Amino acid sequence: MFTLALSDEERLIQETARRFARDRLLPGLRAHERARGVPPEVVREFAGLGLAGGEDLGAFVRALVLEELAAVDPGAALALDAPGLAQPLLDAAGLGAAAGRGVVIEDVEGRFHARDGRLAGEHPWVPADAIAVTAVLHPGCAFVVCEGWRLTPIAACGLEAAGASRLLLDDAPIAATLEDPRALARARAGIRTAVGALLVGAARGAHEYAMRYATERTAFGRPIAHHQALAFLIADLATAVDVARLAVWRAAAALDRGESGEWEAASALAEAAEQALLVGPSAVQILGGHGFMKDHPVEKWMRDIRTLASLAGGRDEAELAAAALAPEHEMGFARGR
Amino acid sequence: MIDLSIGRDLETWLDQVRRLGRDYLRPLGIEADRRHEPVPPDHPFFALAWRMGLGQPLGVEERSASGPRNGARRGVVVAEEMSYWDRGMSVAMPGLGLGGPPLLTMGTPEQKERFLAPFRDREQPHWAAFGMTEPGAGSDVAAIQTTARRDGDGWVLNGAKTFISNSMRADWIVVWATVDRAAGRAGHRAFIVERGTPGLEDMRYEHKMGLIAYESSSFTLRDCRVPVANLLGGERYYAERAGFKGAMKSFNATRPAIAAMAVGIARAAYDAARDFARAHYALDRPTPRYQRVREKLARMARKIEGGRLLCWRAAYLADVEQPNEIEASMAKAFAAGMAQEATGLAVEILGDAGVTADAYVEKLYRDVKAMDIVEGTGQIQRLVIARRLVGLPG
Repeated sequence: MFTLALSDEERLIQETARRFARDRLLPGLRAHERARGVPPEVVREFAGLGLAGGEDLGAFVRALVLEELAAVDPGAALALDAPGLAQPLLDAAGLGAAAGRGVVIEDVEGRFHARDGRLAGEHPWVPADAIAVTAVLHPGCAFVVCEGWRLTPIAACGLEAAGASRLLLDDAPIAATLEDPRALARARAGIRTAVGALLVGAARGAHEYAMRYATERTAFGRPIAHHQALAFLIADLATAVDVARLAVWRAAAALDRGESGEWEAASALAEAAEQALLVGPSAVQILGGHGFMKDHPVEKWMRDIRTLASLAGGRDEAELAAAALAPEHEMGFARGR
Repeated sequence: MIDLSIGRDLETWLDQVRRLGRDYLRPLGIEADRRHEPVPPDHPFFALAWRMGLGQPLGVEERSASGPRNGARRGVVVAEEMSYWDRGMSVAMPGLGLGGPPLLTMGTPEQKERFLAPFRDREQPHWAAFGMTEPGAGSDVAAIQTTARRDGDGWVLNGAKTFISNSMRADWIVVWATVDRAAGRAGHRAFIVERGTPGLEDMRYEHKMGLIAYESSSFTLRDCRVPVANLLGGERYYAERAGFKGAMKSFNATRPAIAAMAVGIARAAYDAARDFARAHYALDRPTPRYQRVREKLARMARKIEGGRLLCWRAAYLADVEQPNEIEASMAKAFAAGMAQEATGLAVEILGDAGVTADAYVEKLYRDVKAMDIVEGTGQIQRLVIARRLVGLPG
């Protein structure tokens, strides 16, 4: 019968990632933002743990690791997790791990055009200053390119530690094309699950910080957490984080069972985005004026969440994908599930 | 990695529940709704279900057994499925109902033997009930006004109870009363009041906006005398000041199943709306309205599945005997709110047809509201969560 517990090994991995995030990312939170990156020694140290993208971890363990990193700094999580979100596509295209950062673009507005084995187009934002792989997703196919771009650094709303650039593909040679619908669906599901995990992490970081603050800060003679308006909000935010996490876990588990995970992952990203977009601004609200200041990290998580929810097609594409599947979706206890 | 399969044993059970639901629970629930009358206790369906061993879906009997525990998980799955077919009928089913948890968690061996005995008779269906709520004490259960006074070899109860499910047909009702209003929770006692006890008076139906299939009743206790042996748990139980805690323990045991019932109602609304949309709309056409329909369906499904996962987590923790108070309240608060949204969206998806009484979804919209009220309102659930998370006093 159903079991909602982590194995001992998973718990150990989770604990390792949590400790790394606390010890190596948290102290440099603002420095990494200013530097638009994580110092090379921290990247090397993380790679040494064997938990980075490119390792054959499976979607579930990957979700656990990404949540832990993002609970401190989702931008740094992207910076550490090379080839990051492109990994499921690289796997599907048989390209293995990339030599550096990978970015994924869901070409929702038809900005990219393939001709004679080359890809051209422009994208206003990718969360990186330097990349090794770009994957461009269209409804029926995906292209992977490994060279032939120009990056112009820009300022972005959040995820500064990952960097931010405008990307121009100038007749870039296509390294791989993925057209198999099932492989493409699985790759997309992998990407959405990973973004969902990052959103859960950022939301958890914001919620836990605001909750702790609310028990320490007093107003009208008692901790602000003991005013019912905030107590109820804190309860709702805790539920929001948990329901989003369960949705992400469900999608990751479906992928690891070899299913397409299409519905589960689209739903997980939609849910994680909705809940995180509630948690981020609410956490700032709990801190009041202090929340708006850079002395506390909640403003950063709020900006990071807003930015994350736009990654790889973001919430809109996920909701549209789920909407397309909905009329056929069955929710009963079907046999064998 | 988490495992979300429900297992072969339960699948077989569910097949049975599904048949029962399709053939009886839903048709009878709809009929009761149209007639504005609960299904009477002598309806042949109850005797049939009782002979088949199908009682109320709270899984309390399994939970009290030893061996590998899966009673809570079984409970949430069966509760969702029964409620999917008709939540009103699932409460109307014979069995211990909410009277079960207090008897099983607080009762002495002698009391369990005596009050469970009628329920072993599989010929005639039997019901039990749980009487906590009063006209002036709903969520604030500590404020109950019904008094209990020791008098010789018995206790004398005076007061009034309201919204008590199945109490008119119950063999016995667990009635909560206070021996000392000033003592608060420490003054609470639970008594088993048997049908026909003199002073158990004025039994009357309450008229509800939904969930018509089961009776909710109010009654008065007027110098109602019960024997000492009917004090649940005996004197010693209360000497350890466990009176109120006993009541609360009952709620913790049933909360995930009640949450799962909200999930079941929402799922019924989803299926009704989806089937209607497939039958009446050309969903493949790029019509803006149809895109909205698809989006609403997707949202409903996603939220319903989220609610189910919260229920499953709370039930899983109960089975492995880990604390689940926060998780049970999260499931209840989320599922009840979600189910209200989902049934509302179903009404919208049907358009003008959605509000007509022929459309099943408007019944679900009325039915589901109670799920955010019974067994602790959404606000009470948030109090429970906040007490645990940030030490909210009270």
